[in-house]
Parts: sequence; C-alpha cells; structure tokens
Amino acid sequence: MKQNLPSSFVSVSKWFFAEKQVIYILLFTYLFITLVPLVWVLSTSFKSNEEAISLPPQFIPANPTLDNYLFVVTEPHIVHSLFNSFIVSIGSTVISVAISALGGYAFARFQFKGKNILLSVILGLFMIPVLINIIPLYIMFSQIGLLNSLLGLILTFQILIIPLNIFLLKSYFETIPRELEEAALIDGCSSLGVLRRITIPLSMPGFAIAAVLAFRFSWNEFILPIVLANRPDSMVFQVALYEFVSLYSIEWGYLTAGINIALIPILVLMLIFQKQMVRGLTLGAIRH
Amino acid sequence: MLILKSFEPYLFLLPSIIILFAFLFIPLIWNIYISLHDVSILTIIKDWDFIGFENFDNIFSDPNFYNSLKVTLVFVCGSVLLQFGIGLLIAILLNQQIRASGLFRTLFIIPWTVSTVITGFSFKFLFDDSFGIINYGIEKLGLESIGWFSDPNLAIWIVIVANTWYGTPFTILFLSAGLLSINPTLYEAATIDGATKFRRFFYITLPLLKSFILTNLILVTVWTINFFDLQLIMTNGGPLSSTTTLSLYMYKQAFEFGYFSEGAAVGILLIIMNIAIAFVYLKLFDVRNKK
Amino acid sequence: MAKLKILIPLTFTILSLFFISQMNIITIIAQEKITLTAIFAEPKERWDMLLENATKILNERHPDKTIKIDYRVLPYSDTRTQILTAMAGKTPIDLVSLDQIWLGEFAEGGFLSDLTANTQKWNKSSDWYTQNWEGGLYNGQVKGIWAWTDVRALWYWKDLLAKAEIDPEQLENWNGYISASKKLNQVFQKDGIQAMHLVGANHSPDMWYPYLWMLGGEILEKRDGHPTKQNYWYPIYNSDLGVKALQFLKDQVEAGIKPQINHYWGQEFADKKFAIMLEGSWLLGQFPKNEWSTLKEKIGMIPMFPVPNISNTNTSTLMGGWLLSIPETSQNKELAWELITIMLEPEVLIPMLLQQGYLPTQKSIGEGAYSEKLKSTIPYYEELVSLISLGKGRPNIPEYPIVAEHIRNAIEQVYNGMDPKQALDEASKQSAKALGW
Repeated sequence: MKQNLPSSFVSVSKWFFAEKQVIYILLFTYLFITLVPLVWVLSTSFKSNEEAISLPPQFIPANPTLDNYLFVVTEPHIVHSLFNSFIVSIGSTVISVAISALGGYAFARFQFKGKNILLSVILGLFMIPVLINIIPLYIMFSQIGLLNSLLGLILTFQILIIPLNIFLLKSYFETIPRELEEAALIDGCSSLGVLRRITIPLSMPGFAIAAVLAFRFSWNEFILPIVLANRPDSMVFQVALYEFVSLYSIEWGYLTAGINIALIPILVLMLIFQKQMVRGLTLGAIRH
Repeated sequence: MLILKSFEPYLFLLPSIIILFAFLFIPLIWNIYISLHDVSILTIIKDWDFIGFENFDNIFSDPNFYNSLKVTLVFVCGSVLLQFGIGLLIAILLNQQIRASGLFRTLFIIPWTVSTVITGFSFKFLFDDSFGIINYGIEKLGLESIGWFSDPNLAIWIVIVANTWYGTPFTILFLSAGLLSINPTLYEAATIDGATKFRRFFYITLPLLKSFILTNLILVTVWTINFFDLQLIMTNGGPLSSTTTLSLYMYKQAFEFGYFSEGAAVGILLIIMNIAIAFVYLKLFDVRNKK
Repeated sequence: MAKLKILIPLTFTILSLFFISQMNIITIIAQEKITLTAIFAEPKERWDMLLENATKILNERHPDKTIKIDYRVLPYSDTRTQILTAMAGKTPIDLVSLDQIWLGEFAEGGFLSDLTANTQKWNKSSDWYTQNWEGGLYNGQVKGIWAWTDVRALWYWKDLLAKAEIDPEQLENWNGYISASKKLNQVFQKDGIQAMHLVGANHSPDMWYPYLWMLGGEILEKRDGHPTKQNYWYPIYNSDLGVKALQFLKDQVEAGIKPQINHYWGQEFADKKFAIMLEGSWLLGQFPKNEWSTLKEKIGMIPMFPVPNISNTNTSTLMGGWLLSIPETSQNKELAWELITIMLEPEVLIPMLLQQGYLPTQKSIGEGAYSEKLKSTIPYYEELVSLISLGKGRPNIPEYPIVAEHIRNAIEQVYNGMDPKQALDEASKQSAKALGW
C-alpha cells in the first residue's frame, strides 16, 4: 500500500504528523497571533485613559494603575448589568442544552415521519439573519410584555443557539454505539431512561461544548439586548460596556478593564469544561 | 404505551419547535409580508401599500447591490477558507498527545469570547493608518507605513483578518469535539495494522469527522454571510464600498436609510443564498460519500 | 416518572427566572409614580447632569406627584434604531434626543408631536438663534427644540506654527492653507506630526458643506415639476460651486494631506498628532478642565473655514447639536413638555454646557445676561459664538441620510483620484432618484 504514494509525500506527512517540535512551533505561532491583541487589551486596562492611546505605544504601562477596574466594579449599574448577564447567560445555557439535547436525540435515534423535512426546516430557520427580525420581535415582545425582561432575552437567545446545538448534539449522539442503548432498552428502560442513564453520561463532552457555545452566545450578544432590553435595570453587561464607547471618544482604560472582567466567567467555564471533556474521553474509552 | 412511543420523537422536538416557530418563523413571515409592501420610516406607522415585487426590482437595479455581492464573495471565501483551514489544523494538533492541551484550548478560545464590538474596535485601533501599533512597527523597521483602511483593495482583508481571528476558535472547538468523539480503539487497531499517521488521518479521522466538518462549514459560512457588525464598526463599508457586504447593505437600507421593505427583501435574498450554499455543501459531501 | 424528574426542575428554573425578571416591574407599579421614559444619545454624563437638576425642579413644581425619569442613554446609531423600533411597536415614550438630521424623517413618519401650541404659550422662540429655531421646524410646525449646538472652526498649535515660521493668518485662505501644509509636513514629518487633518470618516460631507456654502452653493433647492409632489427638493450640490469646493479637498490630498478614516473627535489634535485641525467646538472637551484657563497660550483658534479669497468671501461653518422632541406615543405630553422647558432653563443648562464645552442655542446664554460665566470659563467662547450666525444646519428633509451617503461616496471617490465634477454628477443623479425625480 505504501508504495502507491510518492515517497516525498509520505515523508512530508510523516514529518508533519510525527515531529512534536513542529506541532509546538505551530501551536505557539497561533497562540502568539491570538494573544497579541489580547495582551494589548490587558496592558491598556492598567493604563490611565490619557496613556492608553499615546504614541509610541507601550506594552508595559509606565504608571500601572488599578483605577479602571475599581471604577468598573464600583459603578452600581455596571455591577447590576453583570448580575443580569449571569442570570440571562446561565438561564439560556441550561434551557438551550436541555432543549437541544432532546431535539438532537430525537434526530439521532428515531425514525419518524417528516424527520428530514423537520431537520431541513430547523437548518433553514438558522439561515435567517437575526437583524431583520429585530423590528417584528420588538413588536411581538411589546404586545406580550416581554420587553425589558430578562426572561425575554433568555427566550430570544435560544434562536441563536438551538439550531446549532441540535446539530452538534445530533452528531454527538450518533457517535455513541446504538447497541449500548438497545441493550438497556431490552432491559426495560424507557427511552428517556436510556437517555439519562446511558446516553447523557457518554455525551458529557458534547454537552460541555454545547454549554460553552450557549453561554458564549448569550454572554456576548449585543444587537438583540440593546434593542429589546435597554432599561437600566434590565441591561446586560455588553450593553453597559458600550457606555465607554461614545460618539466623541472611547474610554479605552475602562473599556478594556470591562472586557477583561467579561472574560473571567468564560475562562472559568472553559477550565471547568476542559475537565468535563477529558472525563468524557475516559468514559468514551470504556465503550467498545 | 405504543401510541405514546410513536409520538415520542415529536414530544422531544416540541420545545425547540415552539421557540423557533415563535421567535424565528413568525418574524420571517412578517418580513416576507413587508417585503411586498411599501414600508419605510415614512410609512411604518401608517397604511402599508401593497407593491408586489417593486422592492426587489429596486434592489436589482441598484449598482451597489451588485457591488456588495462581489464583496460578499471575497469576504465569505476568504473568511471561511482561513477559519476552516486554520481551525482544522489546530484542532488536529491539539488532538495529538501534547502537553497542556487544555490550557492551549482555553487560550485559543478567548478571541471568540470577546464580543464583535470589541474585536472591531481593537483591530481598528491596531491597524489605524496614522496611530496604529502595526504601522508604528512598520515605520520602526524603516519601511513606509501602509494605509490599511484607506486602500480599497486592502481594507476588506483587514476585516477578513479580524473575522478570522475572532471566528477560528469556534472551528477549533467544534472540530475538537468531533475528534474527541472518535473512539481511540479504532486508532489502536489501525496502528497494529501498520497504518501511518497520515493514512490514519485520511482513512479514519476524516470520514468519522465528516458530519462535524459539514456542520461546521455550513455554520461558519452562514454566520459569515449574515455577519455585518465587524464591517460596520471597522470600516462602515468603505472605502469606496469595498467592504460593504450584502448583510451590511441590508443593515444600511433598513436602519440607516429607513427603507425597511428593501431591507427585508435583501434579508430574504440572504436566506435564499444561505440555503443554496448549504445545499451545495450537502451535495458535495454526498458525492464523496458515494465513492 | 423519569420524565417528571427532568421536567420538574426545568419548570422550576423557568418559573423562578420569570419571577426574578418581573420583580422590578412589580415594585414600580406598587409605588404608583408617574414615570417619564426617555431615549437619549451618548455621552451619558450630559444627560445625568441635566436630569438630576431638572427632575428635582419638576418634582418641586408638582408636590402632589412623584415623578421619575426613566432614561436610557444609547450609542448614536442605536439611539436611532431604538426610536424607530419603539415607534413601530407603538411603545409609549415621552422624550427623545434627535440628531438634527433625523428630524425630517421622524416628523414625516408621524413619530413626533406638534409642539407649536406649547411654544406659543412658552413665548421664548425669539431668544433662539434663527438658524437653530428653524432647525426644529418641519412643514411649519415645531417638532423639536434645538437644545445646544456646536460649530466647527480652525484650531492650531501655536508653538508648532512658530517653529515652522508660519503666520496663522496665512491659513485663512485656500492657497495659504495648502502652502502651509507643505511647509509643516517638511518640518515635522520626521517627528510623526502631520500638518493638517482632513476628515475621511463618515461625516466627511459635514466638513465639505462649509466650502460649498461660502461660495454661495446649496445642497438642495426646491423645484417645480416633481412627478408626485409637484414642488420638491432637487440636488444642486453638483453645481460649479460644488465642484470648486470639492476641488479644494482634492488639492489638499494632492498636497500630501491624508484623509483620516478614523476620527477621534479632537483627541488626535490634543495629543499633538496634527498641527492644524478643522474641528467642532467639542475639541475643547478633549483638554483637561484645569488647563482651560491657560489654553489660549498653547493653542490658537481662527473662527472660520479657510476661504478662497480673503477680501471678498464670507466664511461659513456647519452647526450640529441635539434636539429634544416628544414622540406621538407619549401619554404624558404636558409633563414631558414641562420637563423640556426646565432642561432648557439657563440655570439647568449652563452647568452642563460648561462641563462639555457646548455652545448655547439661546441668545440670552450666548451673548446676553447669562453669558458671563461661559465667557470666563470656555476658551475662545465669544469667537465661537460669533460663528453661530454664520453657521448653517443640514437640510432636515426625510431623504437627507441617503443624500448624505451619496455625497460621502463622491468625496471618497475624489480622495481616491476621481475628477470632482464626475463624482458629484454621478452622486446627484442617485440623489435625484432617491428624492423621487
């Protein structure tokens, strides 16, 4: 078999996949590209507003200060918006993972009438640019009293996440051997029982990723909340942050401090879910 | 019990369908309705005249529309190719037994957790023609500074770079999930059979990853086509409309100029475009499957 | 049973989230206050300052009521989007801030209340500068009150000009302006200081209109023979005067002045990245307040846009600023109007003007009894106020935003080498179509 491929191709591929050094070089190069703008954000957050846009740019602040962070975490409405963001993001993560798991499971495991049509419709709905839905959503929300409510945001954020997570979890469930579930079914488990006892534990890495995606979409969404919930008491963090980006000037110090604060929950979440993903992996190794 | 069984999949799907129907489908119907009527900032709270396909006619006779199609092509091809290429490569590298892969993955995901607004402003600042750090570095090296945002051929690439920086982590995350779902025992068997890493990649990894790759490509393409915030913040479509994609064109029609009907019509064209592209992807992947 | 175990916590989560989100609304109803809702554009401090005092006064005047102002301060473009969607959804809103160029669209769309009767009773219109009062009119009705304004003028660093041996007077005419730019660039290029600022951002038309106006040109004029409206606006900005005005921008580019795509609203000047900048009066706000008293020693200001010929051309400038309007959907129009009048009271308005460096639209604050405080605090205050009578606002017709887009495109084309006449002709063809010709 090997002789069929040109030898140089094989050696290139061998070099490519085998050499640990090359892997690390590539990873660190990408890490560098990823981090440059972030390091700038981090260093700016420790600068005063005047120093933030001074030339020549300094990567290490001349007079490092924590004032920006102090300002952001002591503004009552910004703290309140952080709290709102947590409620909305956690709420929509829980709901979307639950709902998409059910949906994804139905598509992965059942044969039913209209399955392909439904799947295409969900995919089709995902193609709608959310922007054109802003005005009808606003009108609808004002009629059912969901304007400026966190529940309203939790529900609308689902349209950004559900189609994506249904497809993700459908793909994930499909990789779990059917025989395991069939065995449990024969043992007298209901479909939901199978889902809970066999499928869910085996799908933890998938759920972990679905949750990260859901959290991130809710945490970062800006266009929907700024129109649908912009009252001071229902404002989310991304909208509140925009206060530092005004027509006349951008307050880089406060803005970057805010960005870094906004990063913390996602980083914590990622670290937690890393563990979850690895645990899922070891579980996966048990399946034959 | 048996009757319940046959309804089960529908019950499973009910919550998703209710939410999608209420918040995506009904607004879509509203958009289709207004795209056939004369709804603008001047008429939105008055009577809407039925005007058939006149809004679509207006769009098709607007040279800016055709320009935005061209820009969309460059923006989407550039962004998707870069995001997918880099994303797949990094996901595979992370899946090799390397140290601290969790830490790498966490760091790599950060750009995607920063909102588009912030990404846009940061890159705008980094690449600023006069005060940007990039041009400052170039001048330090003794070279002529570059007008990143004033050159119509260059500006779109800066937006693509920003979009790639921002979007690639999703592909890494998504394809990593796919790679983790592959049963390691398959590799072990192949290794015993003497297959090289290269062959294992093409004969085991890729086929098993197929559904993830397909979903990933569709998602990234659709997002990129519908994406407009980055262009809006970084260039507002300029210079010379060289970064006005169809989605930004839609935003401007609807919210800047107040032509809601035209905006809705462009939105519908975008949906059709998205569906057509998804269809092409599905066909492409089907063909490979049959071989 | 297994199903229940999943469903119960799920329902519980949904319900508890629902109650958390509704709690605030319940408390507001229980207290039975009158709440006025408002949408304003950033920056936020100016509204905080205005409303803190205005709310206090309003409540003192109505001891029987507890009036609360629920206001959101949004970014520029989102303010517009929010007003549009709120009107489409018929949401009751009592007060909005409008950019002067939005007035036409919003008035024509039927979003705004007619304030004519209120203003007649109020009887203060004669205290407004004519241009500013008329900026709030649409089809003869008062649709908004222009609350404060800004004018654009020429700012320069005194030490830089001295070092390059340039007499500031030279900047007052087109030829002198261009030759000064060449000299400044020669002297300061190596220090990373550019001679002059030329706007290449979205608002580039705003910085071109003054040249058009000073030559006697106009953006639009009313013409007979419109297909549907008989007498309506027609674009005439592509006249010879327009071409001449745009040629001056082209000359600047050819002299080595780079159009700036990004705009930092005077911060770039305050940071000494430019020796000379044509910029709005808000530029003063970019200097720390404690430097204002000595600012005249460091920076100079010429209250004009350069003119082609100093002896026989009057200069011109553009006035911007914000209007206060009451939406048609308001359910407390009388109270909202009272709030507007309080916000415009000199005692309430002046502290905010001082803080932000804005200019008043009321003569009594501009040059009358109330002006002393402003004169002594805001550098070059009198010179800037003198520009108000020379300044013009942009047309507040519904189609203005799209016409401005056409002009912006033409200017961009010229920056990239196109002939001004060709660029303006092409743009005006599109504008004529957008205006329904």
